[in-house]
Amino acid sequence: MHEYSVTKALVDLCNKEAEQNNIKRICKIHLKVGKFTGFSPDSIEFYFEHLKSNTKCSSATIVFEEVPIKITCHECGKQNEIDEPILLCPDCGSEKIDLLSGREFFVASIEGEES
Amino acid sequence: MKRIKILKPVLVSNQQRAKENRSVFDKMNSLVINIIASPGAGKTSFIKNIVEHFKRRYSILVIEGDIKGQIDSQSISKLGVDVLQINTATECHLDAYMTAQVLPQIKKKHDLILVENVGNLVCPAEFEIGEDYKLAILSTPEGDDKPMKYPLLFHLAKVVVINKLDLLPYLDFNLQDAKRGIKRENPKAIIFEVSAKTGNGFVEIFRHLEKEVNAKKKKNTD
Repeated sequence: MHEYSVTKALVDLCNKEAEQNNIKRICKIHLKVGKFTGFSPDSIEFYFEHLKSNTKCSSATIVFEEVPIKITCHECGKQNEIDEPILLCPDCGSEKIDLLSGREFFVASIEGEES
Repeated sequence: MKRIKILKPVLVSNQQRAKENRSVFDKMNSLVINIIASPGAGKTSFIKNIVEHFKRRYSILVIEGDIKGQIDSQSISKLGVDVLQINTATECHLDAYMTAQVLPQIKKKHDLILVENVGNLVCPAEFEIGEDYKLAILSTPEGDDKPMKYPLLFHLAKVVVINKLDLLPYLDFNLQDAKRGIKRENPKAIIFEVSAKTGNGFVEIFRHLEKEVNAKKKKNTD
């Protein structure tokens, strides 16, 4: 449900960036979405189809790039990629870990036709 | 065709607004807690316990976030503290903009601002409002597996309160499993076990809040 406001923010951000960079029509939005966020690409796409009309995004598609959850362990020093956000070191079981990636949710780039 | 690097968070404007809200709260020396839980987990009862205990010592403001209505804000204002209501209409969470809209209505400095977010374990976690920290409530009827099923909130919450402990004899809720689940998502989480109905377990929370309120004041006077 919260993807509506998130997608609205996405469209607003892209329109603003296109304006500032002399792009009249956006074709592609490269969006990085970490696996440890609450955002669903399907829902974003659903709302995007409605929200993009009459904007510089009206003919754009979103290219989703999933960012894996990576952690580093303070005990054994190993880095791991994990499927589920269970924040324990898979090697030694330590809880003393740092999250390296997985919380990303940003526009990496936009592609479009120049004004 | 032109490709432009953007590298900006989608919620950049919300984050910016949250930062501005935070500086308003900081200037007032107010400790702001964003309380997040499922509908029916006991957020309002939890807040009432805190208000009853501290209302003579601290100036308290409660900000109520609901999709519709003023049921909670009316019942809290009967306790004699300031209450502001935000109705989110279609939105399933509070965000920094909605919070900013009620800031001009704050007429005095409060020691403690408790924000009751819209009942939801998912969406409110992603939207900062300018809080000092998030407090999640997990109630026993929801099941001990919720931290594993809704990991983000439990990962981000500094404090997790397990509520409705008085119902434990009637449920299959395993307290150790719940705590293990919380610690897996967030090893640093401060966990309290309470019953907002009976008031059991609140002494530790009062002590924690007192410490946090003092720390916030000290931080801003240093």
